[in-house]
Amino acid sequence: MEPDLSVKLRKIRLSTPVMPAAGTFGFGEEYAELYELSSSLGALVTKTLTLRPRSGNPQPRLWETPCGLLNSIGIENPGLPAFVEEIFPCLLKFRLPIVVSVYGESAEEYGELARRIPREAAGVELNLSCPNLPGKPSVLSAEEIFSRVAAAREAWPGELWAKISPEGDWLPAAQAAEEAGADAVVATNTFRGMALDLERRAPVFPNLVAGLSGPAIKPLGLRIVYELCRVLRIPVIGCGGIRSGRDALEFILAGAHAVQVGTANFFDPLAIPRILREMRDWLKKEGLRGLEEVRGCAQKK
Amino acid sequence: MAGLAFQRVPVLEQREVRPGVFVLRVGGEFRAKPGQFFILRAWEFYPLLGRPMSVFDLSPDSLSFAYAVRGEGTRALSRLRPGDELWLLGPLGNGWTRAEGRVALVGGGIGLAPLLLTAKVFGPPMDIFLGFRDEPFLLEEFSPFARLYVASERGGPPEVFRGLVTEMFEPRGYAAVYACGPHAMLEALYRKCRQVGVPLYVSLEERLACGIGACLGCTIFTKSGPARLCREGPVFPADEVFGGA
Repeated sequence: MEPDLSVKLRKIRLSTPVMPAAGTFGFGEEYAELYELSSSLGALVTKTLTLRPRSGNPQPRLWETPCGLLNSIGIENPGLPAFVEEIFPCLLKFRLPIVVSVYGESAEEYGELARRIPREAAGVELNLSCPNLPGKPSVLSAEEIFSRVAAAREAWPGELWAKISPEGDWLPAAQAAEEAGADAVVATNTFRGMALDLERRAPVFPNLVAGLSGPAIKPLGLRIVYELCRVLRIPVIGCGGIRSGRDALEFILAGAHAVQVGTANFFDPLAIPRILREMRDWLKKEGLRGLEEVRGCAQKK
Repeated sequence: MAGLAFQRVPVLEQREVRPGVFVLRVGGEFRAKPGQFFILRAWEFYPLLGRPMSVFDLSPDSLSFAYAVRGEGTRALSRLRPGDELWLLGPLGNGWTRAEGRVALVGGGIGLAPLLLTAKVFGPPMDIFLGFRDEPFLLEEFSPFARLYVASERGGPPEVFRGLVTEMFEPRGYAAVYACGPHAMLEALYRKCRQVGVPLYVSLEERLACGIGACLGCTIFTKSGPARLCREGPVFPADEVFGGA
């Protein structure tokens, strides 16, 4: 019997527990040239959108590290209004739940963004943790998280996720998101890192810091997800360095409902369908019917 | 981007044409336009990302890449031997399109890589100008297709111009110029071509991750706005890149 990999979140159901991490998958069009998205993705999480278009940061934007990748993209995007007008209607052809990722600079902006999301969207993910905007903090206080999530909650009745930073007081931050009405916490965004150029005797990135992702951060993300799952009542969506079905299952064992795959898409463009296949094969091998049988089972009682 | 595929292919040949410069040939039926590229990956874990390389040559049953060893990725690729396998993603990028009339191809160092297939597909009337820091390489591949002019900063036999390819090359009279090489070389070429009103198309390089246009890691700012090097490029009208806002 095929194991059931579907996942019930608070307001939506995903046919699989695997989805792309915002910003690593564009709006899906490119990967759709390589595989059928609807048979692998639980949802399509879009590139993060801001109220006004942003051209993003200057080069260099990428720096490889052993088992990791530093990025400083700076949320290059066409702006939410242009997305709603021109891009969103094209995404409906994928026949997938579309989760729209948004970033604002204040609670009011998050409210405004949430108001403008098309009602056909399956959900909204609040990017509360981008490390690559010059002069803007990537680590918010619990109070700042609360006001931002609350503002979006008021404007968007559907599934609402809060994507938090792995740095600072992430536990109070996640609890604040829950209290403000988030339906799930996405843990986590990238870690701030740095690269220096010996020859130029200068930082590689003009913005000094950049976000570290990739297999290097998996144990760090896993620990945060494990601890969040002990405390939160809302679902946690795990994200951080997942590159295999076993990695994804570790996050489920820690208690995550679903996972997001980011950097792995870059070195294996078929990463998401492969991860899903590996998860299914493992469940079959273990004689399990679905993810409920293992979710959170690594938590110490 | 018709025919985009991610596939495992066998290595047919690895040739070191001079110390640190290789031609790698892999087997399979491929389609690619001149100036397009593939991402190569021949390892499981390290380095994290594959390596982008423009198509050097194409035959009905093989594809080859010319590259210089620069870091750990290219070093790992250089250790591949016939019978080994690697992952290939592509064809990627836009490639270049031939203008009518006499055209010139200009390459600097390993920047000659995308010019061989270009020379083969474009055909005459055409001249090729290649510049090197020291000893030239792979000239015999180009010579059947056009008159070849060679420059070397170190000099050489009398037919080799001593100096930079941009000092040797005179764009006047060409319908269009196609170039790949170091940024400074492309910029110098742009100034020369602009003076005489000859259009220049340059193939650029940046660090890139996904290669298909999703991650926005390779975005450059052109006159008409942000452009993904891997998708809207790697070939751009030089005026878009160097012409200022």
